[in-house]
Amino acid sequence: MSDPGQNGTMSGRFLDGRAVLVTGGASGLGRAVALACADRGGHAVVADIDGEGAERVAAEIRSLQGLATAIAVDVCRADQVEAMAALAADAAPLGGLVLSAAVETRSAALDCTDEDWQRVLDVNLKGPFLCMRAALPRLKQAGGGSIVALGSTLGHIGSPGYAAYCASKGGLVNLCKQAAIEHAADQIRVNVVSPSATDAGLFAQVAEAMPDPEGFKARIAAHVPMHRLGQAGDVCQAIMWLLSPASAYISGAVIPVDGGLAARRM
Amino acid sequence: MDWNALLAGKVALVTGAASGQGRAAATLFGAHGARVVVADIDDLGSDETVAMVRHAGGDALAVHADVSRPDDVEAMVTAAVNRFGTLDVLYNNAAVQMSGRLVDCTDEEWDLTIATNLSAIFWACRAALPHLLDGGGSIINTASVLGLIGSEGYAAYGAAKAGLVALTRQLAVEYGPGVRANVIAPGSIDTPRFRKVLEGMGDADAFISGLTATIPLRRLGQAGDVAAIALFLASDASAYLSGAVLPADGGLAALR
Repeated sequence: MSDPGQNGTMSGRFLDGRAVLVTGGASGLGRAVALACADRGGHAVVADIDGEGAERVAAEIRSLQGLATAIAVDVCRADQVEAMAALAADAAPLGGLVLSAAVETRSAALDCTDEDWQRVLDVNLKGPFLCMRAALPRLKQAGGGSIVALGSTLGHIGSPGYAAYCASKGGLVNLCKQAAIEHAADQIRVNVVSPSATDAGLFAQVAEAMPDPEGFKARIAAHVPMHRLGQAGDVCQAIMWLLSPASAYISGAVIPVDGGLAARRM
Repeated sequence: MDWNALLAGKVALVTGAASGQGRAAATLFGAHGARVVVADIDDLGSDETVAMVRHAGGDALAVHADVSRPDDVEAMVTAAVNRFGTLDVLYNNAAVQMSGRLVDCTDEEWDLTIATNLSAIFWACRAALPHLLDGGGSIINTASVLGLIGSEGYAAYGAAKAGLVALTRQLAVEYGPGVRANVIAPGSIDTPRFRKVLEGMGDADAFISGLTATIPLRRLGQAGDVAAIALFLASDASAYLSGAVLPADGGLAALR
């Protein structure tokens, strides 16, 4: 990573000359992160199962004079993930990996079908494993970098109706701690950002499907100590901070971006 | 958000700011436009820090405070508000560290450790909260890896720091949305206090290399590493973080 700078922030083009691979980059948080990475000088590699959506984000970045490449990828498929990592490392020495691709299903453990279980575990847990396995050697070859995984408050606390999702995010946390320990000596940091209900991405989709989306959001926000839902920008800023040299001594950590929600439970 | 002036116009009070992590944070806060209240028991060191903050571009005031004394803590907050009119950031960094197994820990050592490392933060927050709530404040409390895991010889210290984590979560829940409260949990940071502990040892270099071998990132932390985390927590860059524990430990806590 480039010079940390002396002012302890993620200001400036600290990703100059490096590629950052963002899974789930076609929408929501992933899109916001891809834009922010390009803004800091990085070559954003926008990966998503929605290849057209990924291309739209890449085109948006290029229209802002940023560097971007899009690729369609199913993160559960090892061959596709390997091709994605190779493409990223070809764009520029790999400096970062942001794991934001995820799916959410709602069902209690007793109602969870094998298909739902497998799909959630594949996308949310095996996907990050495959992406890290493909990216770690390339990050090492580039002299180090930063991996940030999107966890969830539901990776630490239970919630009725989220059996598979909770299991996948809980497993992701410990997978990242393991990767952090195994690759710290390679100057690769691995951390988890753990948002609660964020008014973007999966939660927004769930809310919109409710009979009264605004009422639903207001009820959720009422439980949050900060009395509001998270915004994409809140989570994006934490991810950018973890990608930046301002967090140089943090690895294997879980950073909640949840308005204080987890302070009630963990 | 101006990433080069994250604390423009803010007033920050930093305890234990005469050296080490507190000084590094005070200076960094100043460089980002803050007016900084430098509180410490060491007046000479505080004066030096004030000069460093001013050199970095901020304004600063030194206040003598022994944070193990409630009167000093209250006066420290009053002095900050009297001088700068408000208070936006309270960074409770001051601490004492005495080692000794539980049965060897005297009442005096226990009381001083709990007073300085836990009660002091309660007193400071109680005095500062009315001001912090007036405009959206940030509380940053320095705990320790030893508040999260056990370690031989740190009965009082570990208890105080774990209590501080719990106190911070309580602050986050009770005083959101007006105030955010978060913890930094440093591991081994190469500061003057750390070096002082080493003086009592035979071979300091061997101790350090043995220690760094246990840290995933294979180095001691620097005061600047911690200051950068404090800046993040002090600023709106962390606007939706509250009740969080951010380790500054090179990955150490991930092992346990």
